[in-house]
Amino acid sequence: MSDYSWKEMMAVVFSREIEDTDKVTSGAHTEIFFAATMLAQKTHAPNLKLQLGGSVTLCQVTDIEVSELPKTSTGYELIRYAESVHDHPDTFLFYGAPGGKDYYKEGSEYRDVNHFWFADKFFVGGIQVDKWGNTNMIGLGTKEKMTFRGPGTIGINDIAVGVRDTYAFITAHDKRRLVEKVDFISHPGKKICRENEFYGGGPKWIVTPKCIFDFDPDTLEARLYMTFPGVTVDDVKANTGFAVKTAKKVETVEPPTKAELEALRGEVDKTGVLRH
Amino acid sequence: MSKKRKEVVKSIEDAVSLIKDGQTVAIGGFGADNHPMAMVREIIRKGKKNLTIVASATAGLEIDLLIGAGVVKKLIAPYVGQEMYCPIGHNYRKYAESGQIELRETSEYMLYAGLFAAASGQEFFAWRGGVGTSIPELNPDLVEFMDPIGKTKKIIAVPPLRPDWAIVHVGWSDVYGNGQHLGARFGDRWLARAANRIMTQTERVVPNSVIRKNPFMTTIAYADVVVEAPYGGHPYAAHGFYKEDVEFIQDYVKSSDANRKGDSKTWDEYLKRHIQEHYAYLDTVGIKKLLSLYTHPIVSW
Repeated sequence: MSDYSWKEMMAVVFSREIEDTDKVTSGAHTEIFFAATMLAQKTHAPNLKLQLGGSVTLCQVTDIEVSELPKTSTGYELIRYAESVHDHPDTFLFYGAPGGKDYYKEGSEYRDVNHFWFADKFFVGGIQVDKWGNTNMIGLGTKEKMTFRGPGTIGINDIAVGVRDTYAFITAHDKRRLVEKVDFISHPGKKICRENEFYGGGPKWIVTPKCIFDFDPDTLEARLYMTFPGVTVDDVKANTGFAVKTAKKVETVEPPTKAELEALRGEVDKTGVLRH
Repeated sequence: MSKKRKEVVKSIEDAVSLIKDGQTVAIGGFGADNHPMAMVREIIRKGKKNLTIVASATAGLEIDLLIGAGVVKKLIAPYVGQEMYCPIGHNYRKYAESGQIELRETSEYMLYAGLFAAASGQEFFAWRGGVGTSIPELNPDLVEFMDPIGKTKKIIAVPPLRPDWAIVHVGWSDVYGNGQHLGARFGDRWLARAANRIMTQTERVVPNSVIRKNPFMTTIAYADVVVEAPYGGHPYAAHGFYKEDVEFIQDYVKSSDANRKGDSKTWDEYLKRHIQEHYAYLDTVGIKKLLSLYTHPIVSW
């Protein structure tokens, strides 16, 4: 039995993924990513430009105390961590990358611009995700008869065009959620992004409580990339609704270090929102 | 000057009587903040019918309440829920899954694009986000076309969205309809810009001199109707005044969940307890609870 929760593990994994020059946005109902991004500012990315929530609320917590992990993406408390707040529709005027499509090339000279744009990284939820990385927030069933009404796309379709890398995540790993083909697409996977000539690359990973999938660069299909500690490849295969292809060597994610856990619990998530 | 300036303050009853059955009404705020709840409750109390509701870009359970109270015919909303408190609205699920409300699948920007198109008098606003998704298939209002300049990329034309009314919550307003947000403005200015008529629900009516002291802060200029409703955002937060009432929101989530599962008695009792004249409602909440929600203002004067 590990002494950390899968949500804490996920927060640490995403925090490690964030670079100091990144511009990152985290939307509604994404407390794991609030934690991951605030942790990154506290540990290794003090220059991370971080938009939390619905009002282009640009938060900078490197040097200030976070009393508790925000529970909503809109709250008054969030504004206490902010250095600027704009009207929400302004969000969509931040979608163009500096340098246009050149921004997306490896080693682009524009990567380190200081100003915020939306964004290098964004986290995308789903009630279903398929082997192409298409995610679904709309519902289950058909157009004529939706048997389960999902929360709605919010704005995750809007961001597909321009965000450099998205990260699809689901909060439970089973065959109902990881499927061959999603019932509806709210955020397109890499294949559709490429077919439609989006600048953004679509999902870089699919992250579940059990593992991380990345994408085969040629076929653009998901493949098992890493498992979380204590999870086997067979366990992933048995609980996934599509045939799991694997990377050459599937490695295990390094568990949260003592220092990472201390920073997460002591400086970001003091009330233990992610522990339960 | 013998003719006086027009004052637009009305009682909540008179204001809501201006909204006709079948009209399109946009409800401001965002998430758990700044929703015009006193107006929402009065709309339900007056038994309005067949409304088309335009939600904020990330609606909370105020929309779920309107649905569960049976006033909504058609809904245009990118999201209905309350994040960690309630990822998906229960009445929204119940009514959508049984086909009792008509939905227009949309997204945050598509909603704004429609509002921008209406506000700026254009035939449509163009947007790429949504290409390659199921949204154009689910929403017959949207039209895909080919980029006339580069000629290779698909684009979506989003037609104007013009509500009959926008109802937004402001921190304070003068009697002429000049309102100021004392915290985040979210998408309220655009709901208002696109609408034919604007109603503001204000925490306080203040002297015109307060508005003139800092006109840079005026977010809604000359609303058509102003309704004073202190604590009118409860159980949600009103930036500059109070935070959300978590206990009340959780009670709502429980009661609406019961309704979704077929226990309409619990839901009817919930409505009976909460859909009251505004000050009777505040009595139900209780002075001690209301005062406990205080947050000191962030916007300095």
